[in-house]
Amino acid sequence: MATSTPVRSRSGGEAPARRRGARTRGSALRPGVWLPTAVAVVLVGIAWSATAADQPYLLPPLAEVGAILVEDPLLFLANAWSTLSIALLGVACGAGTAFVLALLMSEVPVLRRAIMPLAVVLNVTPVVALAPALVVAFGFGMTPKVIVTAIITFFPVLINVTTGLRSVSVPVLHVFSTLHASRMEVLFRLRVPSSLPYTLAALRVVFPLSIVGAVVAEFVAAGSSSGLGTMIRNSAATARLEYVYAAVACLAVMGVLMLALITILERRLLFWHESQQRTTS
Amino acid sequence: MSDDRIEVRGLTKTYEGGDPRRPALDRIDLDIPRRRFVSLIGPSGCGKSTLLRVIAGLEDHDTGSVTVFGSTPVRMCEAKAVGLVPQTPALLPWLNVRRNVALPSRVNRRAGRGSEDPDHLLRMVGLEDAARRYPHELSGGMKQRVAIARAFGLRPDLLLMDEPFSALDEFTREALQLQLLGLWERMSTTVVFVTHSVREAVTLSDEIVVMSARPGRVHEVLPVGLPRPRDGAVVTGPRMHALEDRVRASLQSAWEAGATPEDLVHQ
Repeated sequence: MATSTPVRSRSGGEAPARRRGARTRGSALRPGVWLPTAVAVVLVGIAWSATAADQPYLLPPLAEVGAILVEDPLLFLANAWSTLSIALLGVACGAGTAFVLALLMSEVPVLRRAIMPLAVVLNVTPVVALAPALVVAFGFGMTPKVIVTAIITFFPVLINVTTGLRSVSVPVLHVFSTLHASRMEVLFRLRVPSSLPYTLAALRVVFPLSIVGAVVAEFVAAGSSSGLGTMIRNSAATARLEYVYAAVACLAVMGVLMLALITILERRLLFWHESQQRTTS
Repeated sequence: MSDDRIEVRGLTKTYEGGDPRRPALDRIDLDIPRRRFVSLIGPSGCGKSTLLRVIAGLEDHDTGSVTVFGSTPVRMCEAKAVGLVPQTPALLPWLNVRRNVALPSRVNRRAGRGSEDPDHLLRMVGLEDAARRYPHELSGGMKQRVAIARAFGLRPDLLLMDEPFSALDEFTREALQLQLLGLWERMSTTVVFVTHSVREAVTLSDEIVVMSARPGRVHEVLPVGLPRPRDGAVVTGPRMHALEDRVRASLQSAWEAGATPEDLVHQ
């Protein structure tokens, strides 16, 4: 176009970084990707079956585990939901509290000095040891289990978000300063978005942890009637190993689904972050 | 105190833990009239970036005074009358180009300062096609153009630029220099431009402030009498080269005035 300035026409000359979405779809279908995993799974399966055939009191036959899962899927779904709801509620309470506290601490240094030591002590206290006391205090309902899960998930989020809120580049802060942006504007337009990669990294750790928390809480809080943890405890007591392993398999699937969820969230929310960019070379 | 100039009087600043006998800035006196394009140039450690940050109100100083058009640097920022282009583009990676350019109009609305239409700004830097793209999809030169468009967005009275082109290749740098001059002539703002490139300083400026290091002082202020616009013929002409030689000679004597062996290692 004759009207374009020479400077403009140069913009095409600067090589732009690779556009998003360039990653090849269907790469998971290539044998190079799935074959190693498949071989490893088959080998473990063979080893398991050999052990189960030899010593049935160590491991149940895989077929039996599969059979009871297929026979009564509703039983497992109901118990999984019971455990999952504890885990999710616990994460919501623990991570939510941690996030809000991290925001407050980043703005009020006095709060930071007051809260951080307590948080560290809470973190090093074995929560399993606390659980019986929580049962005494709150009964056999969901409350003590949610509290246990919340305590377990609290600390990683607190630490990561605190770090994230501080990891703001100085030149950007200078730009905000020359605009005389308020503290709140710096916090919500700059610090909170900057902390997002750290927050999501914390969630990646904390979501699987929440399942551990829920199961442990079910072990400890005797008298509860549902949940995969309860199921494992009761089945183990009566030596019904196939139920134990079926429940463990359910827990593993839950953990994988949670990680998948976080991965999707990261792709969506962190498309701008280095961690989500494929190298072009 | 004058409304139509930046006045720096007896400005001294020592960094905490620094040698008090060799302040980062030592009794700086400087006058920058309104609508002038002034470059600060000097060896590493001469305090040119520090001086810029003091004028921006980003850093305190020990003694002396800085007034910007009859006001203080902080009050200028409160009124959103200062634009800053740092050495790195300092864009928000989670906002697209258009939203990055519109950022100054969205923060500190109390100042009630009107702003340019972001699309118009992007047209002026030739990035209207990139409005919906994100910083990680842009080259270094494009990012810096976004940062410049953002800084011009409030029609600032004072534009502060801290080696904005130092990370770019020469071709891109020269293109951006011309673009910057075009914007500056249209917006008629005052620019303080930190650089370590003699050629860049001569190409862009009305005046060049040569500084010496340890302590940071104003060594010499050289006027650049070249006609504007500074396009092809001016930039390649003999007067330009003579001026470049003049600035180099001044830098040489400034460097000898404050040189220590550390200066041989480029920071």
